[in-house]
Order: sequence, then structure tokens, then C-alpha cells
Amino acid sequence: MNLEKVIFAFFIILALSLNFSFFIGELSEASHHHVNELFAALIVSLICTVMKFGDRTHFGSTVLASSLVVDLLLIAAAITWGVSTVNHGSITPTAMATVTSLAGGALIANLLSVVLLIIETGQIRK
Amino acid sequence: MSDIFFLVLRRLRTPLILLISVYAVATLGMTLIPGVDPNGEPWRMGFFHAFYFVSFMGTTIGFGELPYPFTDLQRAWVLVCIYTSVVAWLYGIGTVLRLTQDETFISAVAQRAFKLSIKRIDRPFHIICGYGETGQLIVRGLSELGIQAIIIDLHSERLHSLKLEELSVPAIVLGGDITDPDNLLAAGINHPCCRGVIAVTQDDHTNLQIAVASKLVNPDMPVICRSEIQDEADNMASFGTDSIINPYLVFGRRLSLLTTNPELHRIHNWFINQHTAEHINERITHEGLPGGDWIICGYGRFGKAVEHYSDDGHISVTIVDIDPEASGAPKGSIVGRGTEADTLIEAGIKSASVIVAASDDDANNLSILITAKQLNNDIVTIGRVSQETNNILFMHAKCDYIMRRSQVVANEVLTIISRPLVTKFLQYSYSLSPSATNDLITEICRLTNDNDPVTWRLVIDSKGAPAILQFIDNQQALTVEQVSSNSKLPGTEGIPLLLLRGGMSHLLPDPDMPLKLGDELLFCGRRNQTLLAQKLRDNIELIDSLYNQNRHHIPLLRWLKRRKKLKSVD
Repeated sequence: MNLEKVIFAFFIILALSLNFSFFIGELSEASHHHVNELFAALIVSLICTVMKFGDRTHFGSTVLASSLVVDLLLIAAAITWGVSTVNHGSITPTAMATVTSLAGGALIANLLSVVLLIIETGQIRK
Repeated sequence: MSDIFFLVLRRLRTPLILLISVYAVATLGMTLIPGVDPNGEPWRMGFFHAFYFVSFMGTTIGFGELPYPFTDLQRAWVLVCIYTSVVAWLYGIGTVLRLTQDETFISAVAQRAFKLSIKRIDRPFHIICGYGETGQLIVRGLSELGIQAIIIDLHSERLHSLKLEELSVPAIVLGGDITDPDNLLAAGINHPCCRGVIAVTQDDHTNLQIAVASKLVNPDMPVICRSEIQDEADNMASFGTDSIINPYLVFGRRLSLLTTNPELHRIHNWFINQHTAEHINERITHEGLPGGDWIICGYGRFGKAVEHYSDDGHISVTIVDIDPEASGAPKGSIVGRGTEADTLIEAGIKSASVIVAASDDDANNLSILITAKQLNNDIVTIGRVSQETNNILFMHAKCDYIMRRSQVVANEVLTIISRPLVTKFLQYSYSLSPSATNDLITEICRLTNDNDPVTWRLVIDSKGAPAILQFIDNQQALTVEQVSSNSKLPGTEGIPLLLLRGGMSHLLPDPDMPLKLGDELLFCGRRNQTLLAQKLRDNIELIDSLYNQNRHHIPLLRWLKRRKKLKSVD
């Protein structure tokens, strides 16, 4: 068992799970999407990115690329949320839909990272 | 670039993760802790405000408590956050600073700089493996010749001394293991400007490895190796090492030449040792070494080489060695070091003509030479110096001929690299008759006022001598004599030594021989003096005035006359 691999797999799967738990629910319904979940998903994804910094393997660089995509989309979602709630109390359904669909995009990239992780693990078994 | 970049990124992983975590916890804490707005209503900070606050808090800018004054609980949390974020920042900055001190990082940066400078080279260069005493002499010589040197040595502390040398062409250096083919590739063995690999490390086997690697990576690349052991030399020769230099054999051959043909030795000595002159007694250069009884103290590689070459009948050799049987000395050898008077007397010092101190210990060699001189004042002393710094002691001991291993190798290497015609000339010089040799020596001495001459090569092609070529192209003959001396330009005289035409060498070419395209002509002349051929090669006007009698004082008229002349030829 390689501790570094465990930690990395943990973070990458956690990123996917958090992202999914934020994404699930009615697209424009604010009560289905908690802001803390978005925050957690973003932070975990950032940590995943940094963990793959300086990795020169093919797998490492592909995962780095996909997790950079996740960061980009989630930061865009967070900014959208922040901008739409300035001087208001609550978020409008339109903005909510944008945020959720961005998170949905990030979900795909996260899924890709996990699939890559599984493929890499499978290769080692052989 | 990529190496350094990835190294930095990898080192930054931990501090960056720490920073992200600290910021995340601090931001989350700010959103969770309840506050109070100015109306006294309970209020919670949003992520936007929380991140804004944490950002300026973490960098200790401190705009104050925004947007509303904090409650005590919030302040307590901010207090915790301030200290953790400062520690995280310090750790991150510390890591980056430590990285610049890191050996891996420094060597990665050095490698990168080395590769870049190799890539930028646009003139011929040689790769020199090993920067010991020999390497140092070669690098100096190459720099005098304006040739770029690339140095690789395992001991980076040796390379530091290079920084103190004032080389006119600064060498490019890499501290690394030369037997690693990657380093050889990095040094540019496949570079179009690379002209050769010179392996002059202390260790024969390392030189062998370098030769193998070079020949495998680039079979056409000339390789010059230093080798002191015959086995390794044979091995090197077996896969096409271009030149193998064994300093002991080279010097042994010189001693033999000095005994049998001192005039020729003098010429060889001049032309090979153009960079650093050998220390040799003036009288011996003229008279040569006497035959008769020779004593060789120390029957190692040098002793064997001297004995091998002195085997021509004029000389009878007596060997003195501490353990003659182990070193394989012939029967009748004397047991001892030779540092004591008894041993030397037993070896017949009183009647001997030459003593060679050939052991590998400088102190012993000095002691042998001094003792021998005391016992027999007329004896000629030849000493071997192992440590370059001890050279001065041998000079003080009035040693007649000093053998400096590194100098022998360095001068041979420099001759091979930069003076291919000199090598050819020396090869053919054995066919010179004694009287011709004497005439040549007299001529050279007259020209240089008894100083050491230098050689220079003229190549008749569009690059080496455009003006001469243009002149010849106009069906005007120019002879060897006309380019070597002219009474109107005193002090530019050169002696033509060898003419190479179409693979054929003409030793001491006939003065009336006309020059042709592709000829290579070797001159010798006075040091620090511009030869006539050097002046002529790219100065059509000078050729014109000297040999077409176009000697008008006004340049315009000269030019008009030259035009007319050229037209009439067309």
C-alpha cells in the first residue's frame, strides 16, 4: 500500500462525490444546492490539482489537465454565485441554474479523472 | 527548462496544499460563526465577504473588520487564523528559498545553462574529458589558438580553478561523470561544430570508456586518448580511436632521437612544443645525448619505455630498481632505489654518461639526480616529474632534460588538433639528409634570432586565401617563393616547410613551384610576427603591387591600372 496513492485517490474521489452532491437536485432550485458543498468541492479540487504538480508521467499530466478544468469551472460557478448575491440576500433561479450547470460540467471532468485513476490502477495489476 | 520547472512544482506541492487548506478552513469558519449587524440583528458572513476578509488578513494587509464590526467569537477565530496563515506563508516562502540552495536544483540549473551554451555554439569546438594538469595545458593551448573548449570533469572543485584563468576563449564547463553517455551527448558530441573528443583523465580505463562511448554514439568523431598502459591502448585502437598518446613512449622516442639525430630532435622539439617549451639543456639540444653507459633508476612504465628505445647498440643500459624481479627487469639489474651513493656506484655511475631518474616519486627522483651529480659531475641528468608543481625543484637541481607527463601529452594533442601539416612534416622529416636538416636549422635560427619558431598553415581556397586564389585565377602564376618572402617587406619572411597537394606531400617544396587551388602550405617563422603569406592571402592590392609592378602612389591610379590589367586578361 502506497500512502501517497491512497491520499491522492481519496481526494480525487472526494472531489467527484462532493461535486455530485452539489449538482444533484432541481437545476434552478436554490434550496437543493448548498453553497458549502460548492466551497468544499472547489477546495478539494484545488488540492487535487496541486498534488499532481510536477508529475511527469502521462497519467499525472492528464489528471492535472482534467482537474485544472474542474478548478476553472468551479471557480466560474463560485464567481457567478458571488456576483449574483451581492447586495441581495438570496440567489435568483437563473443564476442558480448557471451555477448548477457549470458544476455539472465540472462533474464530467471529475468523472474523467476518476476513470483515468481506475485505468491506471488496472494497468498496475497486470 | 522543464527539469527545473517540474522540480519547483513538485517541491511546492506541500506548501501550496497547506496554504489552500488554511485559507479554506479560515473562510469556512468566517461563514459559520454568527455575527451581528449594526441593527443588532443576527447576521452571517457570505463566502464572498469571508474570502475577501481572509485574503487581506492572510497577507497581513488588514483593512479592518468588514463589513460590520465583529463579535468577540469572530475575533477569537480571526486570531487563530492570523497565526496559522502567517506560519503557512512562512513555510511556503521558506521552501522556495531552500530550493535555491538545494544541490539537485543547483545541478539542474547548471545542466540547463550548460545545454543552452552548447546549443548556442556556432564555431568549432573540442570536448575535453578530465581537467587535470594535462587538461589545463590543453585548454590553455586551445584558447591561444582561439578554439572553443568544452570541459567535463567529475571533480567540480578542479573546475573552480578555471574561473581564475584568464582565457581568451572562455571554456564551457560541466561537473559530471564523463563515462555517463548522457553527459557526452549533452556536451554536444553530435553537434555539427564538434571537431573531436579528447580523453585525458588520469585513469586509462575511464579514457577507454570515453573512447568506446564516443565511437558508438558518433563513429565519425575523431577521438584522442591518453593511455599509459599498453593493454588499454590496444583495446582503444581496436575500435578505431584515432590517436592514442602514451607520454612515456613519446618521450622515450624523443630520447632515442636526441641520441641518434640531435638536429632532427631539435626540429621536432620546436614544432611540437609550440605552446609550452620543454626544459632542456641548451648544450644537449646542439650536441645530443651521449651514448655509452646509461643508468635507469626505476623500472616502471617510463623506465621500460626508455630502455625499449635505447636498444640500438650505442647504449648499454643498467637498471636500478627496488625489486627488479617483480618489475621484470633484465638480469644484472641493481637492487636499490638509486637515492644512495652505494647503489649508484655499484651501477657504475663514475663511468656512466646519462642517468634517468624514472621512478614515480618526485622526492626520490630529485635525490637520485643530486647524488648522481655529486658522484659524477659530467653526467647528463634526465628526470621525470610526476607532480607539475615540483617542476621548479627539478630546474633548481639543474636537471638537463625534464620529462613532464602532462606537458608531453598536451603538446602532442595540440599538434594533432591544430597542426595537421606539422604532424605530416614530422613524419616525413626522417627522410631529410643530415646536411639538409642542418641547413634548415641554420635557416630557422637566422630567421628567428635563435628563438623558438612558430608554424602557420596557408590553405589556397576561397576561404583561406581569397586574394591569392583570385590572382591565380587570372592566369597569373604565383610561386612558393613569392608568398614566403619579398625583399620589399622585410621581417615577414617565412620558410616553406611542406606543400600538400592532392594528398601528395612535398617536403621543403621547390621555391619555383607555382601554387594551385587546394594546396596547403606549411610555413615556419618568427613568433609574434605576421608572415608575408598571412598578409597576402586576403589583400589583392598587395599582391598586385608586389608582383604586377603596379606601384603608383595614388590609390586611384593603382586601381585603374589593376582594372585595365584584369580586362586585358579577360
